[in-house]
Order: sequence, then C-alpha cells, then structure tokens
Amino acid sequence: MLEKQNRLTDYDPGKFKRKFNVLLWLVSFALFLLISRLWYLQIIKGDDLRQRSENNRIRIQEVKPLRGLIYDARGDILVDNQPSFDVSLIPEDTKDIKGVMKRLADLCDQDSVDLAKKLSAVKFRKPFVPIKIDKDIGRDKLAIVETNSLNLPGLMVDVVPVRKYVYGEEMAHVLGYVGEISAGELGDEYYKDYRSDDIVGKYGTERYLDRYLKGVSGGEQVEVNVRGRKLSVLGRVEPVPGFNITLTLDARLQKMCWDAFTEKAGSVIVMDPRDGSLLALISKPSFNPNLFNRGIPEEIWESLSKDVLSPLQNRSISGQYPPGSLYKLIVAAAALEEGVINKDTKIGCNGTFDMGNRTFRCWRKAGHGLVNLHQAIVESCDVYFYHLGEMLGVEKLADYSKKFGFGSKTFIELYGEKEGLVPTKRWKRERFKESWQGGETISLSIGQGFVLVTPLQLIRAYSAIANGGILYKPRLIKRIATAEGDIVREFIPEKESSIPLRKKTLEILRYALWGAVNEENGTGWSLKREARDVSGKTGTAQVVAMPKDGKEEEKEIPYKIRDHALFVCYAPRNTPEIAVLVVVEHGGHGGSTAAPIARRIVDGYFDLKKYDAGLMAQSIKEAASVSDISSRDGI
Amino acid sequence: LKIDRRLFVNFDWILLVIVMAISGLGLLNLYSAGFNLAGSRGEPLYIKQAYWILIGLILMIAAFSIDYRIIIRHAYTIHAISLLLLFLVFFLGNITHGSQRWLVFYGFSFQPSELVKLTMVIALARFYKDNQIDEGYYLRNALILLFIIMVPFLMIMRQPDLGTSLFLALLFFTMVFFMGMRRNIVISIAAVSSVLAPLLWFIMKDYQRERILSFLNPERDPLGSGYHIIQSIIAIGSGGFFGKGYLRGTQTQLKFLPEQQTDFVFSVFAEEWGFLGVFVLMFIFLSLILWGFKIARNSRDLPGTLIAFGVTMFIFWEVFINIGMVLGLFPVVGIPLPFLSYGGSSMVILLTGIGLLMNISMRRFVLHP
Repeated sequence: MLEKQNRLTDYDPGKFKRKFNVLLWLVSFALFLLISRLWYLQIIKGDDLRQRSENNRIRIQEVKPLRGLIYDARGDILVDNQPSFDVSLIPEDTKDIKGVMKRLADLCDQDSVDLAKKLSAVKFRKPFVPIKIDKDIGRDKLAIVETNSLNLPGLMVDVVPVRKYVYGEEMAHVLGYVGEISAGELGDEYYKDYRSDDIVGKYGTERYLDRYLKGVSGGEQVEVNVRGRKLSVLGRVEPVPGFNITLTLDARLQKMCWDAFTEKAGSVIVMDPRDGSLLALISKPSFNPNLFNRGIPEEIWESLSKDVLSPLQNRSISGQYPPGSLYKLIVAAAALEEGVINKDTKIGCNGTFDMGNRTFRCWRKAGHGLVNLHQAIVESCDVYFYHLGEMLGVEKLADYSKKFGFGSKTFIELYGEKEGLVPTKRWKRERFKESWQGGETISLSIGQGFVLVTPLQLIRAYSAIANGGILYKPRLIKRIATAEGDIVREFIPEKESSIPLRKKTLEILRYALWGAVNEENGTGWSLKREARDVSGKTGTAQVVAMPKDGKEEEKEIPYKIRDHALFVCYAPRNTPEIAVLVVVEHGGHGGSTAAPIARRIVDGYFDLKKYDAGLMAQSIKEAASVSDISSRDGI
Repeated sequence: LKIDRRLFVNFDWILLVIVMAISGLGLLNLYSAGFNLAGSRGEPLYIKQAYWILIGLILMIAAFSIDYRIIIRHAYTIHAISLLLLFLVFFLGNITHGSQRWLVFYGFSFQPSELVKLTMVIALARFYKDNQIDEGYYLRNALILLFIIMVPFLMIMRQPDLGTSLFLALLFFTMVFFMGMRRNIVISIAAVSSVLAPLLWFIMKDYQRERILSFLNPERDPLGSGYHIIQSIIAIGSGGFFGKGYLRGTQTQLKFLPEQQTDFVFSVFAEEWGFLGVFVLMFIFLSLILWGFKIARNSRDLPGTLIAFGVTMFIFWEVFINIGMVLGLFPVVGIPLPFLSYGGSSMVILLTGIGLLMNISMRRFVLHP
C-alpha cells in the first residue's frame, strides 16, 4: 500500500515528453491534412462546386404565352382568352389527404369516391408535383374553395387561360377549336418544335394559323429545394403573346345567316364578289367549340363523331353536291363562247328530251314551249340545256367547268377542303373502266350525274359572273398583327384567274340571273324586292333519280333521299357587292327552301349597311359639332 | 469536505473559454441548419441543444468538483454501470432506422454507447494505475484489457452501430499504444486485425457495405448511397473562401444537404463561412487538443495523464473522423462532430469529459494527502 503511494508521488510526467512531442506533430499533421482537403475543395474546386450547387437549386420553367385573339373585320372579338380554374392537391402539404378530400367533396356536393379515384389513379409522381383533382371548376365552386382554403390544406387553385368562342357553334367551322397536342402530331415533322403539353389548334382557323396564334414561350428561373418545390423566382423572360388575327367575316352577318338557316343541315356562304372576301360562312349542324377547351368528354365526342349529320364536317368547303340548275349558267357560258348558240337561239321544250332509248324530262311536265336562252335560264328549262349539252359535249363542259374553278381546290385558308369532281371521258375510263355514255352528258348539262361541287366553288364561280369574270381566291384572313397592333401580314385579295368570257356573254348571263328573280315567271321570283336589285338562280340537286310520275308530295319522301335545295344570288344588279349561296341538304326545291333564307340574308346585309352608314353619318356629325365647339372656343 | 482555495485559483478558465467558444459556434450553426425547418413541429434543435449544454455544464461542474482520484477509485464500478446501461438497451432500447441505440427516460433519450467512450477511458486509467510496468505488458494483462474493450465493443456492434464500436476500439488502442506494448504483441495484434478486417465485410449490413463502396466511388450511385457525400462536397466546396454567408447556404437552406444537423453539420458551417471560417474553427479545435495534451503532461500522476490524454484523443479522433468523412476522405460512419453536431448524449458526455480535464488541470499543484 505504502509502496503504491510512493509510486504516485514519484510520478514523473517528463517520461511522456517525447511521446507528446510526437503526438503534437501527428495531430497537427492530421488537421493539416483536413485543411489541405478543404483548400482543394473550397479554393481550387470552389467555382466548379459553386456551379454545381447553383445547378442544384435553379430550374428553368417554361412560361406559356397567351394565345392570339381572333377578330372579325369590324374588330368584334370572336375568340378570347378567359381564365379557367383547376383544383390540384400537393399531398406533401397536408397530413390528412382523406379528410381534405372529404371536406372538398362535401363543400362541392361531389362524390368523394370520385375524387379519391382520381388521386389514386396517379401512381408515379415526383414529390411536390401537384395532382390535378378537378378541371375547370365554375365560379361558384371557386368561391367555395377559396373561402374554405384554411380547412383545405394542400389544395391549390391554378388559373389556366382557355379559349372563349364568343359565338359558340355559329362560328365553330370557321374558327375551329384547340386541344392538347396529340402523340401523333408530336411525331409529325410539322410540329417538331412543339412540346408535349402544348395547346394547338385542331381545326379551323385555330389550326390553319396555329403558328401565328401560339406565341413564344417565356421562361422563369426558379429556385427549388431538394424536393423540387418552387421557392422563388430569380429571373423571368416574358412570353410573347400570339399574334391577333382579323378575319374578313362580319360577325353580325354570320349570326344573321345562322339564324336565317333554320333547316337541319347545309351551308351558307356570303362573299364580296369584288375581291373574294368571305363575309359569312356557316355549316350546319355544328358543335360547341368551348367544349373542347379542357379535353372533350368522351361521351360528347362519341355522339359528335357518330352523328349521321356529321356536325364536325364543314360543309361549306368539304361538302360535295351536284350543282343542279346552278350549273346551267356554266353550260350557257360555254355555249355562247363556243358559238353553239347566240342569245336569240330558240329551242322548243315539250317536257321531254329523248336520247337513244332514254327519255330525259324537264322539271315542268308540260314543257316551256319555244324558249330562248334568257327564258331558259329564268324559267330554268331543263330541255333547253339538254340540247346545249348535247351540242357541246362532255369535254367542252368539263373545260368550262374548270375555267369556273370547279374540280380543284380554292385554297381557302382552312384545312379539309374538297376538290369536287368534273367528269371527263378519260376520268370515266380510269374510274369505272367504261366509256362515257351520251346520256351522261345530258344529265351533266343540268348539273346532275357525276359532277360534284363544293358550296365554296359555287359561290366563287357566281361571284366571278357578278364581278365581270375574275376568279378570286376566297379570302378569309384579313390581317395578322402583334398583340401591340403592329401589322405582321396583310392579306390582299388574290386574283386566281380571269375566266375568258366576252363582255357580251357576261351581260347575257347577268341579265338572265336578274330575270330569274325579277321576272314574274322566274324561279327565284319569291326573292323579288322592290327596293333591291337582286339577281340569282335556284337549283335543285337530285339525290336519287327523279320519280317517274312526280306525284309524290315532298314531305312524304324520306329525308335521306329528298333533293338538295340550292340558291345563289348577288346584289345589286349592276355593281354587286354581296353574293349569297344557300345549300339546304335534302331541302326540296331551291326556290321554296333555299331562296327565302337567302332573301333574309340579303335584306339583313342591306339593313346592316344602312345602319353602318347611319352610324358613320352620326359620328361625322358629332365630329363636326366637336370641331364647331372648338372653333367657337377659339374665338 | 474541505475545499482547497487553490482549486479556484488554478481553475482552468482558458479551457472553459475554448469549450464555450466552440459550443457557441455550434449553437449558431445549428440555428442555421434548422432555419429552413421553421414551422415544423416541436422545439427547434438549437433550443434543445442549449438545454443539453446546460445539463452538460452541470455534469461538468460535478466532474471537476469530485477529485479525479476518487473517480479513479470507482472507475471499474462506473464502467460496469455504463456497461449495464448498454446491456439494458437490448431490452428497453428504442429502435430507430433498424438499430437499437437509445434509452428513453422521462422524455430524454440517451445513448449509453456515448457514455461508454468516457468510462472506458477512466477504466483504462485505473487499469494502468494498478499495473505499471515500464517494459510493456504481458499477454495476461492484455487479456484484461481486451475484456474491458471487448464487452462494450461487441454489445455496440450488436446494436448494430459499427461506427461507434470501431471508434471505441480506435480510442482503446490509442491509449494502449500510448502506454507502450511489447513489440511481439503489437505485431500479433496487427496480424490478427489484418486477418479479421476482411471478415468485417461479411458481418457488415448491406447499407454499411454500400457506404464503403460509395466512399470508394461516390458517383457509383449518385442518388442513393453516394448522394450524401456528393451533396456534402458540393456544399463545402461551394462555400469558397469567404462562404455564402450565414443562413445563406443554398445547399443547407434548400435541404440538398442531408443530415445537416447531425453528421453533416460541418458542411453547413463550411458552406456558409467558407475556408476562412473553417480555418478559425480548426484552429479552435487544435487549441483545445493541444490544451488537453498540456493538461495531460502537467498532471501529477499517471491516471490524470491518462484520463486527460484519453479525453483529448476522444475529441481529436471524433473531429478528425467526422470532418474527414464529410470531406469524402473516409467512408460515412456515424461519428458526430464534437460540440457542433446535434446530440444530447454526445454533448453531455463531451462536457463531462471537459469537466474531467478541468479536474485534472486544477489539481496539478495539489499535493497528495
């Protein structure tokens, strides 16, 4: 015990001196090692690693531009952007997902099971990426969600701009609609610079001018945390909104056409014959383009695409009809130009025309007697034209049809246009491996048989008769301008060709068209107005061969095989400024079904013109009175 | 009990200042590391850490108030109690992340393996007090030494906490080598451990192997096990010379840096204070260690020297391993950074250890009764 005590007091700390000296060096060396590594990381590699830390936290996010707006010729808005409200949930921001969903369901009178399904449908997602729960909630629901936001943690409302088609189905076929770009479109070369969540025009002007309307995306530099949650915006490049489009249409006239056309299916086109501008273009039936905004519900799409009346087809440009009696003017022009007849050549009509063993009949069983060309057009005598057709032959008819723009696209600024059909001997051989029959020429000469035209081709041809023979490219787009109003592109009227018609020929045709409306026995007599100076032509296009006895009343014929009713007109007689074409599918006689519609449109047009002139006069007067006041002030 | 006036005169104020400086920096840094968690439930960790420091200071006072020779007298008992607590962990311990390391009483959770680090130092000091042989030690004694270390080593390994158990062994051998060993024993230990080291690979858990592999090549699995070390290196390096500024470390504040309040707390400091700040911190640590060596050298007796040496090396190894680990020099093992990492047990044990250093320092002039 004592020995031990001694040892303690004898303790000599000096014996560890060397060891501590070594340790001192070892420890210093170890810390020097750490400092060296720190120097390497912080000083030598500092800039690289600083960059990597920036890459960690900074993300570039796309900022979508607003889509361009569409206006009518007078500056009335046709397509606008309006906010739509989506509800989404960030599960990381709430502890009680089920509770939130249940409360939301209660508040909105919705099935919570439905909402839960949506939530569970999402299997793989990054943290803090919101899950869309409900699209396009109305303002009522928005108010509920906003006022209860404290009870609904994790729930957020996104504002998404969507297209507002002010005129709904009235303009659907012209304006079209938009939708999210499809996988098929993304694979297309045309869309190679588009991104997978882009909204693109799917139809109509929205599609045709998509590149102008879509604008340029901006970008946002945002700071995110490790879970990708957006914390702040560091920098922003503003998106460039899409260009605004001005169409040649007049929304008021378009509406008038829509309201006037009360039939089931057909097309109305109003054109300014002076330059080919389209003032109105409707196709019925139509659809509501606003439904497509946020992805169309499956059942609505089904019913639209399966509808026998095909509401998704723009009949004005892709409907192909036999022109019926409207074709007679082309036959007449050919006959006059080719010198087969002159304006005084008279042909007797007893109601029938025999060709081989076939008998072709005139629409008036009793016949028209001895008629000249003028009377034949005014009264729409079929037999007169059977003779002209026989004299001209199919090739001459085809030749003049093409001169009037039939059988080829007009290249209107819309997709889906059809070419129609101008039959020739060669075509028949290639198509049916059969030679042309003489009787087929006879049918052709009154616009029946193989010949098919689109409403747009028809109105263009008649506009050419109205304007002295110039075939214009139909003009739908007037102007493209930036959001600030700077003009990007002005669309001027484009002459496609001049139909080689002598002035005299045109005069004869135009006089006959005037007569058809204004002479007592004209087929368009019902359109006659004292104040107006309308010229026009009725047409009835047979869907099936004319019944032999003609006894059956129209109403008893099944809808599908009833004749198409056509009517084309222009006014005023000598200085035409409006041409109107009405096609009523299965509407019966052109004179009784289509002409009254056209009459209302022509009346409406001139009323609008008067109204506009009145407004103009008033504003001039106001301007004058203002200058009056100012000049008085000056004294 | 008569209180010697000289104890106050000789109180080691410098040590207290150094420790308070580091703890203060630690709290400041912890505030930043927890800054982005504002709004999360419970008290922020820097507040909790402050409580732990207070508890630690009380234990520190206790540790320097009782003459260390009395502590040496009860060293084996103290170590036995510590081993008993370690044993209790197997029955009462909380399981977190698949391992059982914590004892919880009255809401306080405590890690007995931290305590063992300190009691082992004391037990070893006692052992060498009883068995002083200048010419090194025989195998018989070595077996006792192995028993002191093997029991806690195996128990901690069973938790499992490979990092802490290896740390315990490291600290043990540091002290043993310091005291000196016969060359043939050194050689045989070296031989045995070089044979056993590869075997470690087979008893390691998968996540531990992952850590070794991703240490060797962090880019091997940049989003998995290599993620921690990559983000840590980015955080440290991006601090540059002057740092990004307090509370402005993007890696920290945006939570790219994992475990930023515990194992990777140094990366937070390095990112925000840069090389300059880190240099100052390292200087303070070096001062603490050298001061600890000074105390050990100046001790009047061997147990004092050994305890002071043990506590100092305890701190040194933790600093070296933790910083080496976050710098990507060593594999990721769960060794905290003294006074900076959040952790109640670690803080309390370190301050108690500092108390022992003070104990030895203030009694260097006291003559033995």
